[in-house]
Amino acid sequence: MKQNDVYKKLTFPGGALHLLGVFFLSTTMGQQFTLFFKAVASIFSGKKNFKADTKNIINQVFFTGIEIFPVLFIVATLFGTVIIVEVITMMNKVGFSDVVGNLMVIVIIRELGPIFTAFLIAGRSGSALTTYIGSMAINSEVDALATMGVDPVRYLVMPALVGGVFAVLIMTILFSFSGICAGFLTTKLLIYFAGDMLNVQITWTYLSSAIMQSLTMTDFVLAIVKPVVFACIIITNASYQGLAIRKDVRQVPKATSRSVIYSFLYIVIADVLLSSFYIFQYLGELSKII
Amino acid sequence: MIETALNIKDLHFSYTESASRKKMRTQSFFNWGGLLSAVVEDTKKEVLSGVNLRLRQGETICIGGASGQGKSVFLRIIAGLAKPTSGYIHYFGEHLPIEQHTALEVAKRQVGLVFQNGALISNLKVRDNVALPLRYHGIGNEAEIQEKVNMALDLMRVRSEADLFPHMLSTGMQKRVAIARSWAMDPKLLLMDEPTSGLDNYNRRNLLPLIDNMRKLFKTSIIIVTHDLLIAKELGCSIMFLQNKKLTTPHPFDYWLTSEESIAQELFRDLQDRC
Repeated sequence: MKQNDVYKKLTFPGGALHLLGVFFLSTTMGQQFTLFFKAVASIFSGKKNFKADTKNIINQVFFTGIEIFPVLFIVATLFGTVIIVEVITMMNKVGFSDVVGNLMVIVIIRELGPIFTAFLIAGRSGSALTTYIGSMAINSEVDALATMGVDPVRYLVMPALVGGVFAVLIMTILFSFSGICAGFLTTKLLIYFAGDMLNVQITWTYLSSAIMQSLTMTDFVLAIVKPVVFACIIITNASYQGLAIRKDVRQVPKATSRSVIYSFLYIVIADVLLSSFYIFQYLGELSKII
Repeated sequence: MIETALNIKDLHFSYTESASRKKMRTQSFFNWGGLLSAVVEDTKKEVLSGVNLRLRQGETICIGGASGQGKSVFLRIIAGLAKPTSGYIHYFGEHLPIEQHTALEVAKRQVGLVFQNGALISNLKVRDNVALPLRYHGIGNEAEIQEKVNMALDLMRVRSEADLFPHMLSTGMQKRVAIARSWAMDPKLLLMDEPTSGLDNYNRRNLLPLIDNMRKLFKTSIIIVTHDLLIAKELGCSIMFLQNKKLTTPHPFDYWLTSEESIAQELFRDLQDRC
Protein backbone atom coordinates (compact mmCIF):
# COMPACT_ATOMS: atom_id res chain seq x y z
CA MET A 1 0.00 0.00 0.00
CA LYS A 2 2.63 2.49 1.09
CA GLN A 3 4.95 1.66 -1.77
CA ASN A 4 2.18 2.30 -4.29
CA ASP A 5 1.57 5.74 -2.77
CA VAL A 6 5.23 6.66 -3.17
CA TYR A 7 5.11 5.48 -6.76
CA LYS A 8 2.08 7.64 -7.57
CA LYS A 9 3.77 10.79 -6.25
CA LEU A 10 6.70 10.47 -8.66
CA THR A 11 6.84 12.40 -11.92
CA PHE A 12 7.15 10.48 -15.18
CA PRO A 13 10.98 10.40 -15.40
CA GLY A 14 11.12 9.63 -11.71
CA GLY A 15 8.67 6.78 -12.13
CA ALA A 16 10.65 5.42 -15.08
CA LEU A 17 13.87 5.50 -13.06
CA HIS A 18 12.06 3.89 -10.13
CA LEU A 19 10.86 1.05 -12.38
CA LEU A 20 14.35 0.67 -13.85
CA GLY A 21 15.83 0.48 -10.36
CA VAL A 22 13.26 -2.08 -9.23
CA PHE A 23 13.97 -4.10 -12.36
CA PHE A 24 17.74 -3.94 -11.87
CA LEU A 25 17.42 -5.07 -8.26
CA SER A 26 15.32 -8.04 -9.37
CA THR A 27 18.04 -9.25 -11.74
CA THR A 28 20.77 -11.63 -10.58
CA MET A 29 23.35 -8.89 -10.93
CA GLY A 30 21.32 -6.42 -8.92
CA GLN A 31 20.85 -8.95 -6.16
CA GLN A 32 24.57 -9.68 -6.12
CA PHE A 33 25.32 -5.97 -5.76
CA THR A 34 22.78 -5.82 -2.92
CA LEU A 35 24.43 -8.79 -1.20
CA PHE A 36 27.88 -7.21 -1.57
CA PHE A 37 26.81 -3.88 -0.09
CA LYS A 38 24.88 -5.64 2.70
CA ALA A 39 28.03 -7.59 3.57
CA VAL A 40 30.12 -4.40 3.58
CA ALA A 41 27.53 -2.58 5.67
CA SER A 42 27.34 -5.45 8.15
CA ILE A 43 31.01 -4.90 9.07
CA PHE A 44 29.92 -1.75 10.85
CA SER A 45 26.49 -2.81 12.10
CA GLY A 46 25.21 -4.49 15.21
CA LYS A 47 27.08 -5.64 18.24
CA LYS A 48 30.75 -5.80 17.41
CA ASN A 49 32.44 -8.94 18.62
CA PHE A 50 35.94 -8.11 17.50
CA LYS A 51 37.58 -11.29 18.79
CA ALA A 52 35.17 -13.72 17.12
CA ASP A 53 35.18 -11.72 13.87
CA THR A 54 38.98 -11.68 13.71
CA LYS A 55 39.09 -15.42 14.38
CA ASN A 56 36.58 -16.07 11.59
CA ILE A 57 38.44 -13.81 9.17
CA ILE A 58 41.84 -15.39 9.91
CA ASN A 59 40.28 -18.83 9.39
CA GLN A 60 38.97 -17.63 6.05
CA VAL A 61 42.35 -16.25 5.01
CA PHE A 62 43.93 -19.61 5.80
CA PHE A 63 41.19 -21.49 3.98
CA THR A 64 41.04 -19.21 0.94
CA GLY A 65 44.69 -18.40 0.57
CA ILE A 66 47.31 -20.25 2.50
CA GLU A 67 46.04 -23.76 1.75
CA ILE A 68 46.18 -23.10 -1.98
CA PHE A 69 49.75 -21.79 -1.84
CA PRO A 70 51.63 -24.98 -2.94
CA VAL A 71 49.60 -25.28 -6.16
CA LEU A 72 49.80 -21.56 -6.75
CA PHE A 73 53.57 -21.57 -6.20
CA ILE A 74 54.14 -24.35 -8.74
CA VAL A 75 51.85 -22.73 -11.32
CA ALA A 76 53.55 -19.36 -10.82
CA THR A 77 57.07 -20.80 -11.04
CA LEU A 78 56.43 -22.79 -14.21
CA PHE A 79 54.60 -19.94 -15.92
CA GLY A 80 57.33 -17.54 -14.86
CA THR A 81 59.95 -19.84 -16.38
CA VAL A 82 58.08 -20.22 -19.65
CA ILE A 83 57.52 -16.48 -19.97
CA ILE A 84 61.12 -15.57 -19.11
CA VAL A 85 62.54 -18.08 -21.61
CA GLU A 86 60.08 -17.17 -24.37
CA VAL A 87 60.36 -13.41 -23.90
CA ILE A 88 64.14 -13.35 -23.77
CA THR A 89 64.72 -15.65 -26.75
CA MET A 90 62.04 -13.91 -28.83
CA MET A 91 63.06 -10.37 -28.02
CA ASN A 92 66.72 -11.09 -28.67
CA LYS A 93 65.79 -12.54 -32.07
CA VAL A 94 63.81 -9.49 -33.17
CA GLY A 95 66.25 -7.11 -31.56
CA PHE A 96 63.99 -5.58 -28.91
CA SER A 97 65.96 -6.74 -25.88
CA ASP A 98 65.29 -3.42 -24.09
CA VAL A 99 61.54 -4.13 -23.72
CA VAL A 100 62.07 -7.37 -21.78
CA GLY A 101 61.30 -5.62 -18.49
CA ASN A 102 58.18 -4.01 -19.91
CA LEU A 103 56.89 -7.32 -21.21
CA MET A 104 57.56 -9.09 -17.92
CA VAL A 105 55.66 -6.39 -16.01
CA ILE A 106 52.73 -6.47 -18.42
CA VAL A 107 52.43 -10.23 -18.62
CA ILE A 108 53.17 -11.29 -15.05
CA ILE A 109 52.41 -8.35 -12.76
CA ARG A 110 49.57 -6.68 -14.66
CA GLU A 111 47.67 -9.56 -16.23
CA LEU A 112 48.69 -13.11 -15.45
CA GLY A 113 49.30 -12.72 -11.71
CA PRO A 114 45.91 -11.28 -10.73
CA ILE A 115 43.91 -13.33 -13.25
CA PHE A 116 45.53 -16.68 -12.53
CA THR A 117 45.32 -16.19 -8.78
CA ALA A 118 41.67 -15.18 -9.09
CA PHE A 119 40.90 -18.20 -11.28
CA LEU A 120 42.63 -20.62 -8.91
CA ILE A 121 40.84 -19.16 -5.90
CA ALA A 122 37.47 -19.04 -7.69
CA GLY A 123 37.89 -22.68 -8.69
CA ARG A 124 38.88 -23.88 -5.29
CA SER A 125 37.62 -21.53 -2.57
CA GLY A 126 34.68 -20.03 -4.47
CA SER A 127 33.21 -23.42 -5.24
CA ALA A 128 33.88 -24.59 -1.68
CA LEU A 129 32.07 -21.55 -0.29
CA THR A 130 29.04 -22.16 -2.53
CA THR A 131 28.79 -25.80 -1.44
CA TYR A 132 29.26 -24.85 2.21
CA ILE A 133 26.58 -22.16 2.23
CA GLY A 134 24.32 -24.17 -0.08
CA SER A 135 24.43 -27.23 2.19
CA MET A 136 23.66 -25.01 5.16
CA ALA A 137 20.69 -23.54 3.29
CA ILE A 138 19.36 -27.01 2.49
CA ASN A 139 19.66 -28.23 6.08
CA SER A 140 17.76 -25.04 7.07
CA GLU A 141 20.80 -23.95 9.08
CA VAL A 142 20.69 -20.53 7.40
CA ASP A 143 17.04 -20.20 8.46
CA ALA A 144 18.01 -21.29 11.97
CA LEU A 145 20.68 -18.58 12.11
CA ALA A 146 18.14 -15.96 11.04
CA THR A 147 15.57 -17.04 13.62
CA MET A 148 18.22 -16.71 16.32
CA GLY A 149 18.74 -13.13 15.20
CA VAL A 150 22.15 -14.00 13.72
CA ASP A 151 22.35 -12.24 10.36
CA PRO A 152 23.50 -14.89 7.83
CA VAL A 153 25.12 -12.16 5.72
CA ARG A 154 27.17 -10.99 8.65
CA TYR A 155 27.92 -14.45 10.02
CA LEU A 156 28.70 -16.23 6.73
CA VAL A 157 29.38 -13.72 3.96
CA MET A 158 31.20 -10.90 5.75
CA PRO A 159 34.13 -12.97 7.16
CA ALA A 160 34.50 -14.72 3.81
CA LEU A 161 34.54 -11.38 2.02
CA VAL A 162 37.09 -9.69 4.26
CA GLY A 163 39.23 -12.83 4.50
CA GLY A 164 38.93 -13.38 0.76
CA VAL A 165 40.11 -9.85 -0.03
CA PHE A 166 43.19 -10.27 2.17
CA ALA A 167 43.90 -13.75 0.86
CA VAL A 168 43.61 -12.86 -2.84
CA LEU A 169 45.73 -9.74 -2.30
CA ILE A 170 48.49 -11.68 -0.55
CA MET A 171 48.31 -14.54 -3.04
CA THR A 172 48.50 -12.21 -6.05
CA ILE A 173 51.62 -10.55 -4.68
CA LEU A 174 53.13 -13.97 -3.92
CA PHE A 175 52.20 -15.16 -7.42
CA SER A 176 53.96 -12.28 -9.15
CA PHE A 177 56.91 -12.52 -6.79
CA SER A 178 57.42 -16.27 -7.17
CA GLY A 179 56.67 -16.04 -10.88
CA ILE A 180 59.62 -13.74 -11.33
CA CYS A 181 62.05 -14.97 -8.66
CA ALA A 182 61.44 -18.73 -8.77
CA GLY A 183 60.93 -18.46 -12.52
CA PHE A 184 64.37 -16.90 -12.81
CA LEU A 185 65.92 -19.64 -10.66
CA THR A 186 64.26 -22.37 -12.74
CA THR A 187 65.46 -20.70 -15.92
CA LYS A 188 69.00 -20.71 -14.51
CA LEU A 189 68.57 -24.39 -13.71
CA LEU A 190 67.41 -25.04 -17.26
CA ILE A 191 70.40 -23.14 -18.65
CA TYR A 192 72.71 -25.15 -16.37
CA PHE A 193 71.36 -28.45 -17.70
CA ALA A 194 70.67 -27.51 -21.32
CA GLY A 195 73.77 -25.39 -21.81
CA ASP A 196 74.01 -23.65 -25.18
CA MET A 197 70.99 -25.39 -26.56
CA LEU A 198 68.66 -22.81 -25.00
CA ASN A 199 70.70 -19.82 -26.22
CA VAL A 200 69.55 -17.61 -23.34
CA GLN A 201 71.83 -15.22 -21.52
CA ILE A 202 70.31 -13.90 -18.31
CA THR A 203 71.52 -12.46 -15.03
CA TRP A 204 69.51 -11.39 -11.98
CA THR A 205 70.83 -7.83 -12.16
CA TYR A 206 69.72 -7.53 -15.77
CA LEU A 207 66.22 -8.95 -15.14
CA SER A 208 65.55 -7.10 -11.88
CA SER A 209 66.79 -3.73 -13.13
CA ALA A 210 64.78 -4.08 -16.34
CA ILE A 211 61.64 -4.85 -14.35
CA MET A 212 62.22 -2.12 -11.76
CA GLN A 213 62.74 0.46 -14.52
CA SER A 214 59.49 -0.33 -16.26
CA LEU A 215 57.33 -0.49 -13.09
CA THR A 216 55.12 2.58 -12.78
CA MET A 217 52.90 3.92 -10.02
CA THR A 218 49.85 2.69 -11.92
CA ASP A 219 51.15 -0.85 -11.73
CA PHE A 220 51.39 -0.67 -7.96
CA VAL A 221 47.91 0.83 -7.63
CA LEU A 222 46.34 -1.69 -9.99
CA ALA A 223 48.27 -4.54 -8.34
CA ILE A 224 46.23 -3.73 -5.24
CA VAL A 225 42.93 -2.71 -6.90
CA LYS A 226 42.65 -5.73 -9.19
CA PRO A 227 42.93 -8.47 -6.55
CA VAL A 228 40.53 -6.59 -4.27
CA VAL A 229 37.93 -6.27 -7.06
CA PHE A 230 38.41 -9.91 -8.09
CA ALA A 231 38.09 -11.13 -4.50
CA CYS A 232 34.84 -9.17 -4.05
CA ILE A 233 33.50 -10.69 -7.27
CA ILE A 234 34.46 -14.26 -6.34
CA ILE A 235 33.15 -14.20 -2.79
CA THR A 236 29.95 -12.27 -3.55
CA ASN A 237 29.10 -14.49 -6.48
CA ALA A 238 29.89 -17.69 -4.57
CA SER A 239 27.87 -16.66 -1.52
CA TYR A 240 24.97 -15.45 -3.64
CA GLN A 241 24.77 -18.74 -5.53
CA GLY A 242 24.90 -20.63 -2.23
CA LEU A 243 22.24 -18.53 -0.51
CA ALA A 244 19.92 -18.67 -3.53
CA ILE A 245 19.53 -22.46 -3.28
CA ARG A 246 16.02 -23.50 -2.34
CA LYS A 247 15.67 -26.83 -0.53
CA ASP A 248 16.67 -29.00 -3.44
CA VAL A 249 19.82 -31.10 -3.25
CA ARG A 250 20.18 -31.14 -7.04
CA GLN A 251 20.66 -27.39 -6.98
CA VAL A 252 23.97 -27.62 -5.09
CA PRO A 253 26.16 -28.94 -7.95
CA LYS A 254 24.39 -26.61 -10.38
CA ALA A 255 24.97 -23.63 -8.13
CA THR A 256 28.62 -24.61 -7.66
CA SER A 257 29.32 -24.78 -11.37
CA ARG A 258 27.41 -21.50 -11.88
CA SER A 259 29.50 -19.96 -9.14
CA VAL A 260 32.80 -20.91 -10.81
CA ILE A 261 31.80 -20.13 -14.40
CA TYR A 262 30.21 -16.76 -13.63
CA SER A 263 33.16 -15.85 -11.42
CA PHE A 264 35.47 -16.48 -14.42
CA LEU A 265 33.20 -14.39 -16.65
CA TYR A 266 32.89 -11.49 -14.22
CA ILE A 267 36.64 -11.55 -13.50
CA VAL A 268 37.55 -11.27 -17.19
CA ILE A 269 35.01 -8.46 -17.71
CA ALA A 270 36.31 -6.60 -14.66
CA ASP A 271 39.88 -7.14 -15.86
CA VAL A 272 39.09 -5.59 -19.25
CA LEU A 273 37.38 -2.64 -17.57
CA LEU A 274 40.34 -2.09 -15.24
CA SER A 275 42.87 -2.52 -18.05
CA SER A 276 41.12 0.19 -20.07
CA PHE A 277 42.85 2.52 -17.61
CA TYR A 278 46.12 1.70 -19.38
CA ILE A 279 44.55 2.38 -22.75
CA PHE A 280 43.66 5.90 -21.60
CA GLN A 281 47.21 6.28 -20.35
CA TYR A 282 48.61 5.26 -23.74
CA LEU A 283 46.26 7.66 -25.49
CA GLY A 284 47.52 10.45 -23.23
CA GLU A 285 51.12 9.58 -24.07
CA LEU A 286 50.23 9.41 -27.76
CA SER A 287 48.85 12.95 -27.74
CA LYS A 288 52.08 14.11 -26.05
CA ILE A 289 54.17 12.70 -28.91
CA ILE A 290 51.95 14.25 -31.56
CA MET B 1 -4.56 -6.83 32.33
CA ILE B 2 -2.98 -9.75 30.54
CA GLU B 3 -1.08 -8.59 27.49
CA THR B 4 -1.27 -10.39 24.20
CA ALA B 5 1.92 -11.98 22.96
CA LEU B 6 0.81 -12.57 19.42
CA ASN B 7 -2.17 -11.28 17.54
CA ILE B 8 -2.78 -12.43 13.97
CA LYS B 9 -5.65 -10.98 11.99
CA ASP B 10 -6.90 -12.18 8.63
CA LEU B 11 -3.65 -13.79 7.50
CA HIS B 12 -3.40 -15.03 3.92
CA PHE B 13 -0.55 -16.99 2.46
CA SER B 14 -0.12 -18.61 -0.91
CA TYR B 15 2.82 -20.31 -2.56
CA THR B 16 4.35 -18.79 -5.66
CA GLU B 17 7.04 -21.44 -5.42
CA SER B 18 6.55 -22.55 -9.02
CA ALA B 19 7.30 -19.03 -10.23
CA SER B 20 10.50 -18.78 -8.25
CA ARG B 21 11.57 -22.25 -9.38
CA LYS B 22 11.17 -21.20 -12.99
CA LYS B 23 13.14 -18.08 -12.20
CA MET B 24 15.96 -20.19 -10.79
CA ARG B 25 16.11 -22.31 -13.92
CA THR B 26 16.30 -19.38 -16.31
CA GLN B 27 18.83 -17.59 -14.15
CA SER B 28 21.28 -16.01 -16.53
CA PHE B 29 23.58 -13.05 -16.76
CA PHE B 30 20.65 -10.65 -16.93
CA ASN B 31 17.49 -12.24 -15.70
CA TRP B 32 15.03 -11.39 -18.46
CA GLY B 33 12.81 -14.22 -17.27
CA GLY B 34 12.26 -12.26 -14.06
CA LEU B 35 10.42 -9.56 -15.98
CA LEU B 36 8.16 -12.11 -17.63
CA SER B 37 7.30 -14.00 -14.49
CA ALA B 38 6.43 -10.70 -12.81
CA VAL B 39 3.87 -10.03 -15.50
CA VAL B 40 2.54 -13.55 -15.95
CA GLU B 41 1.51 -14.61 -12.46
CA ASP B 42 1.94 -18.31 -11.95
CA THR B 43 -0.83 -20.50 -10.64
CA LYS B 44 -0.92 -19.83 -6.93
CA LYS B 45 -1.52 -22.49 -4.33
CA GLU B 46 -3.33 -20.92 -1.43
CA VAL B 47 -2.31 -22.45 1.89
CA LEU B 48 -3.75 -20.14 4.50
CA SER B 49 -6.79 -17.97 4.03
CA GLY B 50 -8.05 -15.66 6.74
CA VAL B 51 -6.30 -17.12 9.75
CA ASN B 52 -6.92 -15.41 13.09
CA LEU B 53 -5.02 -16.14 16.29
CA ARG B 54 -4.74 -14.42 19.63
CA LEU B 55 -2.18 -15.64 22.13
CA ARG B 56 -1.87 -14.18 25.63
CA GLN B 57 1.47 -13.87 27.37
CA GLY B 58 2.37 -17.04 29.22
CA GLU B 59 -0.19 -19.05 27.32
CA THR B 60 0.58 -22.32 25.59
CA ILE B 61 -1.31 -23.46 22.57
CA CYS B 62 -1.14 -26.60 20.44
CA ILE B 63 -1.86 -26.54 16.74
CA GLY B 64 -2.88 -29.83 15.20
CA GLY B 65 -4.29 -30.99 11.94
CA ALA B 66 -3.74 -33.50 9.24
CA SER B 67 -0.36 -33.35 7.55
CA GLY B 68 -0.12 -31.09 4.52
CA GLN B 69 -2.49 -28.50 5.93
CA GLY B 70 0.26 -25.89 6.28
CA LYS B 71 1.02 -26.11 9.99
CA SER B 72 4.75 -25.79 9.53
CA VAL B 73 4.31 -22.97 7.03
CA PHE B 74 2.15 -21.15 9.55
CA LEU B 75 4.97 -21.47 12.09
CA ARG B 76 7.51 -20.28 9.53
CA ILE B 77 5.36 -17.22 8.85
CA ILE B 78 5.21 -16.37 12.56
CA ALA B 79 9.01 -16.80 12.77
CA GLY B 80 9.44 -14.50 9.77
CA LEU B 81 10.92 -17.11 7.41
CA ALA B 82 8.01 -16.78 4.99
CA LYS B 83 6.23 -13.59 4.00
CA PRO B 84 2.42 -13.62 4.27
CA THR B 85 0.52 -12.44 1.21
CA SER B 86 -1.65 -10.18 3.32
CA GLY B 87 -2.78 -9.77 6.90
CA TYR B 88 -1.76 -8.15 10.15
CA ILE B 89 0.63 -9.62 12.70
CA HIS B 90 1.22 -7.95 16.07
CA TYR B 91 4.10 -9.14 18.24
CA PHE B 92 3.62 -8.10 21.86
CA GLY B 93 1.20 -5.39 20.81
CA GLU B 94 3.53 -4.00 18.13
CA HIS B 95 2.45 -4.19 14.52
CA LEU B 96 5.04 -5.51 12.06
CA PRO B 97 4.24 -4.49 8.46
CA ILE B 98 4.58 -7.15 5.77
CA GLU B 99 7.41 -5.25 4.03
CA GLN B 100 9.53 -5.58 7.17
CA HIS B 101 8.46 -9.15 7.86
CA THR B 102 11.86 -10.86 7.92
CA ALA B 103 13.30 -13.42 10.31
CA LEU B 104 15.84 -10.95 11.68
CA GLU B 105 13.16 -8.38 12.51
CA VAL B 106 11.03 -11.03 14.20
CA ALA B 107 14.03 -12.39 16.12
CA LYS B 108 14.64 -8.89 17.52
CA ARG B 109 11.27 -9.25 19.25
CA GLN B 110 12.56 -12.32 21.11
CA VAL B 111 10.75 -14.98 19.15
CA GLY B 112 12.50 -18.35 18.99
CA LEU B 113 11.85 -21.28 16.69
CA VAL B 114 12.78 -24.92 17.26
CA PHE B 115 13.05 -26.64 13.89
CA GLN B 116 11.64 -30.07 13.23
CA ASN B 117 15.12 -31.46 12.43
CA GLY B 118 16.91 -29.32 15.01
CA ALA B 119 18.88 -27.41 12.34
CA LEU B 120 22.08 -27.33 14.38
CA ILE B 121 25.12 -25.75 12.75
CA SER B 122 26.97 -28.88 11.69
CA ASN B 123 30.53 -27.55 11.88
CA LEU B 124 30.19 -26.36 15.47
CA LYS B 125 30.27 -28.48 18.62
CA VAL B 126 27.10 -28.73 20.69
CA ARG B 127 28.48 -26.26 23.22
CA ASP B 128 29.35 -23.70 20.55
CA ASN B 129 25.98 -24.21 18.88
CA VAL B 130 24.21 -23.15 22.05
CA ALA B 131 26.69 -20.34 22.66
CA LEU B 132 26.59 -18.99 19.08
CA PRO B 133 23.63 -16.58 19.38
CA LEU B 134 24.76 -15.47 22.85
CA ARG B 135 28.24 -14.65 21.54
CA TYR B 136 26.87 -12.96 18.44
CA HIS B 137 24.60 -10.67 20.43
CA GLY B 138 27.29 -10.13 23.06
CA ILE B 139 25.08 -11.21 25.98
CA GLY B 140 27.48 -11.25 28.93
CA ASN B 141 31.16 -12.12 29.00
CA GLU B 142 32.61 -15.53 28.18
CA ALA B 143 32.22 -16.90 31.74
CA GLU B 144 28.57 -15.86 31.87
CA ILE B 145 27.93 -17.38 28.46
CA GLN B 146 29.54 -20.67 29.51
CA GLU B 147 27.43 -20.71 32.67
CA LYS B 148 24.28 -20.11 30.69
CA VAL B 149 25.24 -22.78 28.13
CA ASN B 150 25.90 -25.33 30.88
CA MET B 151 22.57 -24.49 32.47
CA ALA B 152 20.72 -24.96 29.18
CA LEU B 153 22.54 -28.24 28.48
CA ASP B 154 21.80 -29.48 32.00
CA LEU B 155 18.13 -28.67 31.62
CA MET B 156 17.89 -30.74 28.45
CA ARG B 157 20.23 -33.47 29.85
CA VAL B 158 22.77 -33.18 27.05
CA ARG B 159 25.70 -31.83 29.11
CA SER B 160 27.72 -35.03 28.62
CA GLU B 161 27.48 -34.57 24.84
CA ALA B 162 28.62 -30.94 24.97
CA ASP B 163 31.88 -31.56 23.12
CA LEU B 164 30.47 -33.70 20.33
CA PHE B 165 29.51 -32.55 16.86
CA PRO B 166 25.81 -32.61 15.88
CA HIS B 167 26.24 -35.49 13.43
CA MET B 168 27.37 -37.74 16.28
CA LEU B 169 24.05 -37.27 18.07
CA SER B 170 20.76 -39.03 17.50
CA THR B 171 17.78 -37.11 16.13
CA GLY B 172 16.18 -36.88 19.53
CA MET B 173 19.34 -35.52 21.11
CA GLN B 174 19.75 -32.99 18.31
CA LYS B 175 16.24 -31.81 19.03
CA ARG B 176 17.01 -31.46 22.72
CA VAL B 177 20.10 -29.40 21.89
CA ALA B 178 17.99 -27.24 19.58
CA ILE B 179 15.51 -26.63 22.38
CA ALA B 180 18.41 -25.79 24.72
CA ARG B 181 19.73 -23.32 22.14
CA SER B 182 16.37 -21.59 21.91
CA TRP B 183 15.94 -21.59 25.68
CA ALA B 184 19.35 -19.95 26.20
CA MET B 185 18.16 -16.91 24.26
CA ASP B 186 15.35 -16.26 26.80
CA PRO B 187 12.59 -16.09 24.19
CA LYS B 188 9.31 -14.41 25.07
CA LEU B 189 7.53 -16.41 22.41
CA LEU B 190 8.74 -19.89 21.55
CA LEU B 191 7.57 -21.74 18.47
CA MET B 192 8.10 -25.49 18.39
CA ASP B 193 7.72 -27.69 15.36
CA GLU B 194 7.03 -31.27 16.45
CA PRO B 195 9.06 -31.13 19.67
CA THR B 196 8.25 -34.69 20.71
CA SER B 197 8.69 -36.61 17.48
CA GLY B 198 11.82 -38.74 17.66
CA LEU B 199 11.95 -38.56 21.44
CA ASP B 200 11.60 -41.68 23.53
CA ASN B 201 8.94 -41.82 26.21
CA TYR B 202 11.41 -41.08 29.00
CA ASN B 203 12.69 -37.87 27.38
CA ARG B 204 9.25 -36.88 26.26
CA ARG B 205 8.08 -37.07 29.85
CA ASN B 206 11.08 -34.95 30.86
CA LEU B 207 10.49 -32.40 28.16
CA LEU B 208 6.89 -31.65 29.01
CA PRO B 209 7.50 -30.41 32.57
CA LEU B 210 10.27 -28.25 31.16
CA ILE B 211 7.90 -26.60 28.74
CA ASP B 212 5.47 -26.15 31.60
CA ASN B 213 8.18 -24.59 33.76
CA MET B 214 9.16 -22.17 31.03
CA ARG B 215 5.59 -21.00 30.91
CA LYS B 216 5.26 -20.68 34.68
CA LEU B 217 8.68 -19.24 35.57
CA PHE B 218 9.59 -17.12 32.58
CA LYS B 219 6.08 -16.28 31.29
CA THR B 220 7.08 -17.64 27.89
CA SER B 221 4.25 -17.96 25.41
CA ILE B 222 4.55 -21.19 23.48
CA ILE B 223 3.02 -22.40 20.23
CA ILE B 224 3.48 -26.11 19.61
CA VAL B 225 2.75 -27.64 16.24
CA THR B 226 2.32 -31.34 16.78
CA HIS B 227 0.65 -34.58 15.85
CA ASP B 228 1.09 -35.79 19.42
CA LEU B 229 -2.19 -34.38 20.77
CA LEU B 230 -1.71 -35.94 24.19
CA ILE B 231 0.80 -33.14 24.89
CA ALA B 232 -2.12 -30.77 25.17
CA LYS B 233 -3.77 -32.95 27.78
CA GLU B 234 -0.56 -33.22 29.79
CA LEU B 235 0.20 -29.49 29.57
CA GLY B 236 -3.43 -28.55 30.12
CA CYS B 237 -3.48 -26.21 27.16
CA SER B 238 -5.97 -25.69 24.38
CA ILE B 239 -5.79 -27.15 20.92
CA MET B 240 -6.53 -25.46 17.61
CA PHE B 241 -6.79 -27.25 14.31
CA LEU B 242 -5.72 -26.01 10.95
CA GLN B 243 -8.47 -27.11 8.63
CA ASN B 244 -9.60 -25.85 5.25
CA LYS B 245 -6.95 -23.08 5.32
CA LYS B 246 -8.37 -21.70 8.57
CA LEU B 247 -7.73 -22.12 12.28
CA THR B 248 -10.57 -23.42 14.41
CA THR B 249 -11.39 -21.83 17.74
CA PRO B 250 -9.23 -23.08 20.63
CA HIS B 251 -10.75 -25.64 22.97
CA PRO B 252 -9.27 -27.86 25.67
CA PHE B 253 -8.40 -31.47 24.99
CA ASP B 254 -11.49 -32.89 26.67
CA TYR B 255 -13.83 -30.74 24.61
CA TRP B 256 -12.39 -32.09 21.37
CA LEU B 257 -12.51 -35.63 22.71
CA THR B 258 -16.27 -35.56 22.92
CA SER B 259 -16.84 -33.12 20.08
CA GLU B 260 -19.03 -33.94 17.13
CA GLU B 261 -16.97 -31.92 14.63
CA SER B 262 -15.50 -33.86 11.75
CA ILE B 263 -11.86 -32.92 12.44
CA ALA B 264 -12.20 -34.11 16.04
CA GLN B 265 -13.84 -37.31 14.88
CA GLU B 266 -10.99 -37.98 12.49
CA LEU B 267 -8.04 -37.19 14.74
CA PHE B 268 -9.37 -38.35 18.08
CA ARG B 269 -10.82 -41.66 17.00
CA ASP B 270 -8.05 -43.83 18.42
CA LEU B 271 -7.45 -41.50 21.36
CA GLN B 272 -11.06 -41.92 22.45
CA ASP B 273 -10.43 -45.59 23.07
CA ARG B 274 -7.28 -44.91 25.06
CA CYS B 275 -8.57 -42.09 27.26
